[in-house]
Amino acid sequence: MEPNPVPVLHQTIDHLFRHESGKMIAALTRLLGFAQFKTAEDIAQDTLLQALHTWKFSGIPDQPAAWLMRVARNRAIDHLRQQKVREKNNPAYAKQLASEYTLSPTVNQFFTEKEMEDSMLRMIFACCHPELPHSAQVALILKTLCGLHPREIARAFLTQEDTINKRIYRALEKLREQDKEPEVPLGSALTVRLDTVLESLYLLFNEGYLSEQPEQFIREELCADAMRLTLILTRNTYTSTPATHALLALFCFQASRFEARHTEQGSILLLEDQDRNKWNQQLIQTGNHFLHQAAEGNSLSLYHLEASIAALHTSAVDFSSTRWDLIQGLYRKRFELKPSPVIALQWAISEGYAFGPQAALDRLHSITHLAQYHLYPATLAHFYSLIGEKEKALTAYEQAITLTRSPFEKELLERKKEKVKRV
Amino acid sequence: MEKFMLIFQGGQLDNLSPEEMQAQLGKWMVWIDKLAKDGRYESGEPLIPGGKLVSGNKGQHVTDGPYTEGKEVVGGYFIIKAKDIHEAVELSKDCPDFEFGGTVQVRQVMKMDM
Repeated sequence: MEPNPVPVLHQTIDHLFRHESGKMIAALTRLLGFAQFKTAEDIAQDTLLQALHTWKFSGIPDQPAAWLMRVARNRAIDHLRQQKVREKNNPAYAKQLASEYTLSPTVNQFFTEKEMEDSMLRMIFACCHPELPHSAQVALILKTLCGLHPREIARAFLTQEDTINKRIYRALEKLREQDKEPEVPLGSALTVRLDTVLESLYLLFNEGYLSEQPEQFIREELCADAMRLTLILTRNTYTSTPATHALLALFCFQASRFEARHTEQGSILLLEDQDRNKWNQQLIQTGNHFLHQAAEGNSLSLYHLEASIAALHTSAVDFSSTRWDLIQGLYRKRFELKPSPVIALQWAISEGYAFGPQAALDRLHSITHLAQYHLYPATLAHFYSLIGEKEKALTAYEQAITLTRSPFEKELLERKKEKVKRV
Repeated sequence: MEKFMLIFQGGQLDNLSPEEMQAQLGKWMVWIDKLAKDGRYESGEPLIPGGKLVSGNKGQHVTDGPYTEGKEVVGGYFIIKAKDIHEAVELSKDCPDFEFGGTVQVRQVMKMDM
């Protein structure tokens, strides 16, 4: 039995409606085809409404998920029976769906656990269509597979509902033209598509882990969703590549620190100040398990490097015994594999701890394109203060404070600024 | 203690997201738990939408319905125990559907003293 990292974060019943909505939409879209995506969504929504209206009087049944699937299945069968125009149906099943003898068995087979997971997998790939921008892929994943309302997606991304609606609408238009039904590509096409999928899941996780969204539970939810979907990829023969395992390992290590990153009042605690006893050991173990799996074969992905860095952090008993020498080497490799200003920033920090503040400052000064990212001046400020450049440190903290939207980030930066002032 | 029937009508929940629906359900569960813990809750059942209307002097007219406005549809009922109608009304004020336009009809069940 593979360890399941997700319930460590949340009990399944907590988000039953949202999760089952994703399963229903995936199963129904596969059955009906993308042309009837709206119908698939309506059936899922009506099923949940029926559950709400029934359960509020009678209580939640023993097997709520099975209850929902039975209702969704019957609603799908009713829809197909009453359908006047059959051309819109997925041609792959049109014949079986048109005959009363085969209608129910055909629909039923889509609602078995195994087929629903397969439908979810296909849907992940459909959402991560390479012609869609990553922002649209992530929004689509959240809407279809994670059961989030555009209103909720907008809140998570700190943007307008209208923006998300347009993004999703355009993305769905694209999918309608391209795919009759969600599919997992085969052969060499799979390798390319899987890269896109992993990248989108990585972005989804980071949206939760790094975003300035002040509502902690929304952020944790995004992370848990990314983990839940990546877990599905690890269960399929074709998609359970070393990179997939490395990505899930990375998520587990990062998520293990969730509880320790904040005080009860929501203030941010940096790695240095975190109580390491609060790190979730079960998630760390699960992370190690997946990192071990990721070592099969000889591929080395970005995620291998990032997961290895995260593993080194989790294995250090305290901040001062962190193996910065190894971490900076991994960041160097990570940067060389795919350079980005944000990775350069991380690399600079690790060099600062490995070789001294001046090394960090030298690297930081070579970074461009990060002027608007609050962590850039914040990092500069930190290392300036370490070499006694008080004035430069204060100016940089000021800049960082004006750049962040998060009240918790602002508070943290204010605290650090005050500390420098007092020196 | 007297018995009361709380008849729940309407409540526009169609536009809720799955997460919001679950949160709404959660409020109902909390309410029922509270009523049960206080020894107030007797039973409750949902009603399937639709139904038939039977009328005519011999009951010969059977029609679908009654089709009322969505906000008037009876979704279900509770039987609860309360001291009097005032207390029953107070208890019904915790119904979570008010914010979505739901209403509660409070009716006392008549005791047949022999």
